[in-house]
Formats: sequence, structure tokens, C-alpha cells
Amino acid sequence: MSFFRRTRLFIILIGFIVLVALIGYSMSDRSNLTVGEEFLKDTVGWLQGVVHRPAEFTSNIFSNIDEIKHTYEENQLLKERLADHKSLLYEIQELKQDNEELRQILDKTESISDYEPIQASVRSQSPEPFFKEVTINKGEQDGVKKNMAVITGQGMVGKIKSAAEFSSTVQLLRGFDGTNRISVTVSQEDKEDESGFVIGYDEEKEALMLKLNSYESEVEEGALVVSSGMGGVFIRGLEIGTVKEVTPDKYGLTQMAYVTPAADVDNMDHVIVVNAAEGNQQEEEE
Amino acid sequence: MAKFYLPLFLLLLLVLEGVAVDFLPNSLVTGRWMIAAHWVLLYLVLISIFYDLENTYVSVLYAIVFGLMIDIVYTSVLGVYMFIYPLVVYGIHGLKKLLHTNFLVAVVLAALAVVLADTGVYIVYSFIGLTELPWQDYFYIRLIPTLLANLLLLILIYPLTKAKLSKWSTERFNTSGKF
Repeated sequence: MSFFRRTRLFIILIGFIVLVALIGYSMSDRSNLTVGEEFLKDTVGWLQGVVHRPAEFTSNIFSNIDEIKHTYEENQLLKERLADHKSLLYEIQELKQDNEELRQILDKTESISDYEPIQASVRSQSPEPFFKEVTINKGEQDGVKKNMAVITGQGMVGKIKSAAEFSSTVQLLRGFDGTNRISVTVSQEDKEDESGFVIGYDEEKEALMLKLNSYESEVEEGALVVSSGMGGVFIRGLEIGTVKEVTPDKYGLTQMAYVTPAADVDNMDHVIVVNAAEGNQQEEEE
Repeated sequence: MAKFYLPLFLLLLLVLEGVAVDFLPNSLVTGRWMIAAHWVLLYLVLISIFYDLENTYVSVLYAIVFGLMIDIVYTSVLGVYMFIYPLVVYGIHGLKKLLHTNFLVAVVLAALAVVLADTGVYIVYSFIGLTELPWQDYFYIRLIPTLLANLLLLILIYPLTKAKLSKWSTERFNTSGKF
């Protein structure tokens, strides 16, 4: 009996060593998944795709019924907005033309806001709530690579954490920490634009923490926050959110703004992976 | 037959875990609550109670394999579930010898397994710095909702699986006589 007790202890000890080794391996900054991981992710991803479709269908029926109830009110509101948008449209067209002409004069055809969209659908969400991750149905075969930004029509939702051949994992903005910062611009109408970094997510305030670069910067509530493209990872002009409140940080040296994310992460079914234009990536590598 | 059905059913639960969380009502997901789905663990507990004999450890073996699969597919840190699931299932396997198996005992053992596994996962993750949730917050925000949600599922799958598992167990271990 004592022999068995000893082997049991021994096995648990070996298990513990394996645990530490595996954690160490996966926390190290590795660029690619191993073949086994890719195969498993793709297989489970495919099965999830099979299950996801009928589930999505039934859940859509219920949400459609819900939406029909509000159709009339929404229609009234939209009609009012439409008139405003028309004038805005002409303005944008003119600005675009202007921009293109100016670029031609400068002989600069590529910009850091050019990208190729890769359409993808959300398949599953991690059942482990500490990981704010979702799986999408496009992988390396479709051109998805690590660190690409992921957006919806409303704004940025996250970035590609790892890509397998036919599926990939998206780290949501909610799960961002100090190691993946986003360089952003706070654009304001009547004041100067300010720059800063998104350094993480505040669970209690349910907002992104934005560290402003200078202490003197004046940022108003409601200002729009977009990515600046300076970090080299994300392109310029991805909408991130609006400023909720501005406070001095705990040491009083910089200012911290809290940003409400623009995209509704919990309701998204379809996303776009932002494949930065080829030219830019080569520049980054150099 | 159980040789094929058990891993298939576990795989199905593994796949459904992720899809189900995606379809949970938004009030649950966006709120302060965090609900972890430990469906694979629940089925492993049922296997260890109704399928395993005293000297067979099929459930622990599957716990290692499917723990690793959960690590790979759903989390980016390998080894955590792979270590904690077998440990918990082994403990349950030891406990079931002391108790007469019925519905109430199954519920208690499953609740114990979920609490132990979830706490274990929390301890490892907070140790490696993946979460900074304080202990009290974890208890109210995550542990209690997780326990309730998983027990609800157990009550659903218990009547569906219990008879089958007992049947497979007698089929397999009486005819072959060994594991």
C-alpha cells in the first residue's frame, strides 16, 4: 500500500512538472502554433461550424421577431437622419477627390490606411471567461496572419492572436493588456488632436484605458478615438470608441482617459480581418 | 461500443461548450457575471461514478486527453486544464467508493468537482498573472454563477446518460474482465 501511495505522489509530482513546463512553453513569445495544435483547432472549428449554423438560424428567428416590434420608430428616426447624411456624403466625396489629387502630386499612392478586407464569421467563444477570445472561420489559407486587426462595421473589436490553417483565434479588446498596446489619435472638432496609447481594459468601468501622451492635452468627453497607425501593427483610421471620462492617473504624471468601445462585441456574428496592404508590411519588416 | 461512444460524446460536449457561450443571452455575458462551462468535466464525473469500477481509471485517462484539448482549443495557456481535470476526477473516483451512488450523491460530487476545478483554474491563472481578480470578487462573480449553471446542465444530462453508462460499464468490464 505504501508503494502505491508513493507512486501516486510521484505521478502528481511529474504532472506538476509537466504543467509548469507547458505553461512556460505557451507563455513564451512563440510566433506559430505547432502542427498538432493547428490540426486540433481546425477540426474542432469545423465541427463548431456544423453545430453553429442551425443554432444561429433559430436564434435569428427570435431576434428578428424582437426587431420587427421596433421597426416603425426606427424608420422615423432613420428618415430624419437620411437628410443629414446626404449633405455629408457630398462633402466626403469632395474630400476624397481632393485627397487623391494631392496624393498624385506627392507621387504617393500607398497609405497606411489601405487594407484588404477578409470577411469572416464568428464560430465560438472561449468557455473560459478569463480568456476574452473568439474563434473565426478564416485562417492562414485565406491570408489571415497573427496580429492583424479585426473590425466590424462599427469599429475595432480585437486582433488575431493565433492563426491555424482554416480558423483563427481573435483576442477581443476586452482582453488587451499591457503587452499589446494600440497607438491612437483622439480627434476633436474644435481643438487639436491628441495622441496616446490604449494600455488595457478596466473591468469595473467597462472601458478601455487610454494613456494620453502629454499632461497638457485637453480631451473632452465624447471625443472620437481612432487608431493612428503609428504602432506599425494596426493601420490608421480604425474606429475604437468614444471618450467616457478623463482623469489624472494615480501618480498625477499623465492623464488617463476611459474609452467606451464602439463595436458591440457580444452581438457580432460577422467580422472583417484587416489585411494591411502589401507595401506596408514590407516596410515594417525592414 | 462504449470505446467509441465515450470519446465521441466528450468531443461533442467540448465543441458545444464554445458554441453555447456564443449564444448565451446577452444579459448574462455582458453583465458582471462570468460563467465558465465545465461540461466535459461533468460528463467525466458521471463516467467515473457510473462507468468506472473501483480499479479502473478510464475517466482519469479521458480527463488528461480532453483537458489538453480544452487547453489547446479554448485557452492559450497549455497544461492547466490537463493538470486540474485529472486531479479532480481522480479525487471524485476515490470519494465515490465511500458513498452509495444515487442522484443526490452524483449532484454533490459534481458540485464538488466543479468548485474544485474552477478554483484550481483560478489559482493557477492568478499565479501566472492572467487575471487580477481578487478572491472575494472571484467567489461572487464567477464561482457561484458557474456552479449554478453547471448544476443545471447536470440535472439535464443525468437522466439521459446514467442508464447508458451503467449498461456500457457492465458490457465492457464483464465480458473482457480487464481494462
